[in-house]
Amino acid sequence: MSVVTTDPRFLLLLHHHHHNHRRATSFKPVPKFQLISERRLPFHLNCRQIASRRNNVGTRHSYPLNALSSSGVETSESLDVTFRETFRLQRPDKLEGKITIRLDCGKNEEYGQLTVGCNLPGKWVLHWGVNYVGDVGSEWDQPPLDMRPPGSIPIKDYAIDTPFGRSPEPEGEVVYEVKIDFNTNSSIAAINFVLKDEESGNWYQHRGRDFKVPLIDYLQDDGNVVGTKKSLGIWPGALGQISNVILKSDAADYKADDIIEPNLQKRPLQGFYEEHSVFKEVFTDNAMSISVRHCLERAKNIVYIETDLPGDVVIHWGVCKDGGKSWEIPSEPYPPETTTFKNKALRTLLQQKDDGRGSWGQFTLDDGFSALAFVLKLNENTWLNCKGDDFCIPLTSSVVTAKDSGLTHSQDEEQLKDFVSAEKFDDTSDSNQTGAAYTDGIISEIRNLVYDISSEKSRKTKSREAQESILHEIEKLAAEAYSIFRSSMPTFTNTNLSEDEDLQPPVKISSGTGSGFEILCQGFNWESHKSGNWYMELHEKASELSSLGFTVIWLPPPTDSVSPEGYMPRDLYNLNSRYGNHDQLKNLVKRLHEVGIRVLGDVVLNHRCAQYQNQNGVWNIFGGRLNWDDRAVVADDPHFQGRGNKSSGDNFHAAPNIDHSQEFVRKDIKEWICWLREEIGYDGWRLDFVRGFWGGYVKDYLEASEPYFAVGEFWDSLSYTYGEMDHNQDAHRQRIVDWINATNGTAGAFDVTTKGVLHSALERCEYWRLSDEKGKPPGVVGWWPSRAVTFIENHDTGSTQGHWRFPGGKEMQGYAYILTHPGTPSVFYDHIFSEYQSQIFALISIRKRQKIHCRSPVKIVKAERDVYAAIVDEKLAMKIGPGHFEPSNGAQNWSLAIEGRDYKVWEVSS
Amino acid sequence: MEVSVIGSSQVNLGRVNDTGLCSFSRNLNTNISIVKSSYSKRCNLGQTQNLVWPSSRSTVGFSLRASASVNSQAVVSEKASTLTKPIDDVKLYVGLPVDTVSNSNTINHGRAMAAGLKALKLLGVDGVELPVWWGIAEKEAMGKYDWTGYLAVVEMVEKLGLKLHISLCFHASAEPKISLPQWVSQIGESEPSIYFTDRSGQQYKDCLSLGVDDRPVLDGKTPLEVYNEFCESFKSSFSPFMGSTITGLSIGLGPDGELRYPSHHHPVQSNGQCGAGGFQCYDKNMLGDLKHHAETQGNPLWGLGGPHDAPSHEQSPISGGFFAENGGAWETPYGNFFLSWYSSQLICHGDRVLSVAVSTFKDVPITLSAKIPLMHSWSEARSHPSEQTAGFYNTAHRDGYEAIAETFSKHSCKIILPGMDLSDESFPTESHSSPESLLAQITSSCRKHGVEVLGQNSSVSGSSKGFEQIKKKLLGGNAAMEVFTYQRMGAYFFSPEHFPCFTQFVRGLNQPIQSSDDLPVEDEETAKFLSGTKLQLQAA
Repeated sequence: MSVVTTDPRFLLLLHHHHHNHRRATSFKPVPKFQLISERRLPFHLNCRQIASRRNNVGTRHSYPLNALSSSGVETSESLDVTFRETFRLQRPDKLEGKITIRLDCGKNEEYGQLTVGCNLPGKWVLHWGVNYVGDVGSEWDQPPLDMRPPGSIPIKDYAIDTPFGRSPEPEGEVVYEVKIDFNTNSSIAAINFVLKDEESGNWYQHRGRDFKVPLIDYLQDDGNVVGTKKSLGIWPGALGQISNVILKSDAADYKADDIIEPNLQKRPLQGFYEEHSVFKEVFTDNAMSISVRHCLERAKNIVYIETDLPGDVVIHWGVCKDGGKSWEIPSEPYPPETTTFKNKALRTLLQQKDDGRGSWGQFTLDDGFSALAFVLKLNENTWLNCKGDDFCIPLTSSVVTAKDSGLTHSQDEEQLKDFVSAEKFDDTSDSNQTGAAYTDGIISEIRNLVYDISSEKSRKTKSREAQESILHEIEKLAAEAYSIFRSSMPTFTNTNLSEDEDLQPPVKISSGTGSGFEILCQGFNWESHKSGNWYMELHEKASELSSLGFTVIWLPPPTDSVSPEGYMPRDLYNLNSRYGNHDQLKNLVKRLHEVGIRVLGDVVLNHRCAQYQNQNGVWNIFGGRLNWDDRAVVADDPHFQGRGNKSSGDNFHAAPNIDHSQEFVRKDIKEWICWLREEIGYDGWRLDFVRGFWGGYVKDYLEASEPYFAVGEFWDSLSYTYGEMDHNQDAHRQRIVDWINATNGTAGAFDVTTKGVLHSALERCEYWRLSDEKGKPPGVVGWWPSRAVTFIENHDTGSTQGHWRFPGGKEMQGYAYILTHPGTPSVFYDHIFSEYQSQIFALISIRKRQKIHCRSPVKIVKAERDVYAAIVDEKLAMKIGPGHFEPSNGAQNWSLAIEGRDYKVWEVSS
Repeated sequence: MEVSVIGSSQVNLGRVNDTGLCSFSRNLNTNISIVKSSYSKRCNLGQTQNLVWPSSRSTVGFSLRASASVNSQAVVSEKASTLTKPIDDVKLYVGLPVDTVSNSNTINHGRAMAAGLKALKLLGVDGVELPVWWGIAEKEAMGKYDWTGYLAVVEMVEKLGLKLHISLCFHASAEPKISLPQWVSQIGESEPSIYFTDRSGQQYKDCLSLGVDDRPVLDGKTPLEVYNEFCESFKSSFSPFMGSTITGLSIGLGPDGELRYPSHHHPVQSNGQCGAGGFQCYDKNMLGDLKHHAETQGNPLWGLGGPHDAPSHEQSPISGGFFAENGGAWETPYGNFFLSWYSSQLICHGDRVLSVAVSTFKDVPITLSAKIPLMHSWSEARSHPSEQTAGFYNTAHRDGYEAIAETFSKHSCKIILPGMDLSDESFPTESHSSPESLLAQITSSCRKHGVEVLGQNSSVSGSSKGFEQIKKKLLGGNAAMEVFTYQRMGAYFFSPEHFPCFTQFVRGLNQPIQSSDDLPVEDEETAKFLSGTKLQLQAA
């Protein structure tokens, strides 16, 4: 919950890639202060001592300081102490350092060296690429092999990750450095880079852009602004999106005569040295010890708080009654330096200790309160709480026993909302400004539109393109307006309505859902191509898969492909692949049908590898039966010189992206997938990289091929703030829902949101994340369950690639979630054939027994720090997490169906 | 999808030969500069923008053209006349949420509005309609106006280049709850006769009775005076926008802003049966007026109250009693007496309020209008009972809308008429309802008196059928109208069930039903594309 201000110019917090996001945990400065509490307070001498009742509340997250837990102190003082605890505090802190960039030119001016350094501790990686002379736009290329320092790893096809090495400076300061050697005679125009701190997962840019070091003196200005890549996984908001849709020119700044002719003449390179300041957030360990003494005579509790946090510390507090959760303000007197905050809480500034090492405060409270609840405020933006909850200190009265201090997350949130209400509640007042910003967008848009229609030359293609762009834009805006309007109407949820409609014909088969009772199996992993006869291996396993309860299997991409895994398709009608040949595939499908499993073909429609070069030597002429030329390639990836329209989605940079706006392309693709259906017997599709083109085309293809089931891979990054995943992932799931919508619901989509939220919840023991603000599941499954295909791992995220691996050892919690919840669950091959098999089988059996389907209603009954529990369709109860939950035996009689590590599932016993 | 091995030579070796792109960008710059200069010119010209863009009336025209019409009219303005039908004659407005401005006079869900307005703009919608509530702008005390919230909305709309139609609402809204001004409700508590009252003595508190129009019931002022001052204050506060952004204004004449009695405010019966509503002439003032009127007509006994045998709210009106299909009292001299009086009260009220509006806004370049209802239930019955209770003396042998149209004509006001989306088919025969023929009757009365009709829809079902019906009404025949306002923006409006239908509707409106003959013959690709577009539209 803590919020830290950092310099936005240098700290880029959005992630470009699907990397695992971690928080800074390994680097912690040694605590500067040790709390010594020998100096006891005088007041306890005045109190009559009562029997010691040491409360063990909160021990799970307590880290007693040495001085306090030493036995000598404890025995001598525990008599009147009703509560004593030391809390470890992680104080966010801002470290300032510098990034240094040095360019050296060799003496003979033939070799140069670029040195990038950073003096902040961290696991630094240089993420870099180059531009060649004559490149247009800001797309990076990978540097030639001889430029790559040892230890470099290629990332996708356009960048290199090079780890920084340590090199001690003369003064003993450690500096992390990367040196890149280059040949000044090469055709490299510039080196582009950003820094990544793998420890915190943060990226560091230069004023919001890449660092760009020109190696020749001509460099097209602004290159990295105009062509800002769309593929970064950043959702720039409606306005930002426009800038991608419209022509890439800032019309306002252009002058007709302002065209720069590339000047390819080189001048000798000038060396330089630059420093940029950089900030990094680290967490410093501090501690706070709290003791409560009860004074029977005066019927008062005396709470003593002591901390080594430096600077001013304000306790924002209230008291609770009868174990309740709402804060009250006790009657006076208050400690010194106490103010009332909006009649909801009190704020007390702790007094500095004499030695200046921290501060302390003493709170005397009347009997009758069950707890003192508080959070710490370090400054306007930094608050500390207890692992997401308020600190909650149980108080004793003559009769009441100390209560459990575990307050729920929701209250904590409410409290915090109150705190920040002043800052963020002002939606109405700034709406004018917002309006103005939107207007600007519109004006530039109209300007471009006018350009589009008045340019006679490119009229045909342009108007077509403009139409599509505008349709996209309108869709996005409408979706945005919808989500806000909807959120302000709590009684209305669209999903429920459409679900109801769907439900009316009970066994209506829709390609978005199948029967509604499907259970998917991903029938391969990243290594499956290696055996050369995967189809045969699966053939053997068909009946086993069927008996495990799977109804649909997803097979690997079947076509001729440049990469062995099949995701770089070339000749679409050639179905001989590393997984087996055409006939083996047919046999496998036949066998699967025999055992009652439907089969999904993995179709890659976004891109296709060419077989021939065009006159410029660019590979963009296709071969095989679909011998398209460069008109089938989108125009906005300069590497492939496509003559088609601009892409209707994000670009995949490794191969020519297909231009689906071309009628002939669509016709051919429709023919192809209908042929696959007919010839091989596929029942449906798993659609690869559907971010790359408009969902409306997918709808076309699905309507043509009439699949039994279809699911699309729409994978982009979740939202993170300061390296920590946001609780609210509505924007992320909205994008997926938007795509499903664009397909008119003819396809489901993998619920990447749910996977992401499960990661955070399980990894960090933050199970409260599994309930969104409306008490529904936080993923796509909470909004459009029938179209959500839930999964925890696939060939990209896990397997031998591990791009975004599910928290290790917690897979069964993940399956306990997706196999009990609505949505269509998908189980990864590696997990089916692992030690988890029996548990997965048990969960599938329960799902089938209780007839849980993709639209089953789910009621979340607990979403707290360490436990999440839900009741599905009133027939099945489940919990995950180490915390405690038992379904209450009221109307239903629950019996435990399966129990595993940190999860339990119950079903109604009849 | 990730690829770890990229081994092929064809992958990403491209070094771009950029000569082609260079000339392209030169081309692009030139064009943009042209556009830019014209654009700024147009901005400076303000209201005379037509001069610069002869083929379109406003910037909106551009987005329409670009988004909707393929044959690139911007460069072929002279061609516009050759189109089968100048569809652009229909201006499309969309109603903003009822609670656009909250009770505390701030903009509700401003970000949603901003996004929504932009979507509408791109879609080619001409403008929006904004309800301005008496209970919000003059909430606290008589004469104490607060326009801040509304000014903010108007500015927002202006910045987006949309037009604005204002609806002055002197009534209250049930959902979302917007009351009459507090000080009015307080007066009403001690003086319930300011409200319409039905036979059972129940008051309708969502607007003032027309019986008090000229009575100084509001702290010494008459409602008409208060309405007048409200209008004057509105006019002076919004004068900078009048005629530019604000192009139209409608004035509320009764319940839901419509010229009628609140005869149907009882909830629909659970059996779905819709009665004829009830007469609303039982407040002190109206009863007094009725009595007086009866006496002057020489039939004092007729002035003691409304018809004793009028059906109750839930009864089927035509089975017996006053509205009986055969032999009902409505066809008697008494019936004629009462219905004439009852309906003329309503017409006079309309006349009075319109006068107020006209006197205030006559010197402002905006079109004035007011709304009348489409009381289509039971309209196939000879007595038209629903219309009767609402104040329209329209029967099998009397045209009740002539007088209305005449009044509007006198003030040069336009009539807003809802129900453009309703078709007879959707009402079962036993409901005796024919919205289409009633609509036709009203529009023909209006045409006769030269009163222009502005259309609205009655429901937001979002069914493509409703949109088809609207389209038919807008484009069909000689009854074509100039402005249609779609009600209204909100969560459902932008929902995936509804918005695609709306999009399709708008694009259908602005894309004339064109045979391929209208397209240049040589432009085969474009023709192909046209059919492609339609496919995509359905998905949009």
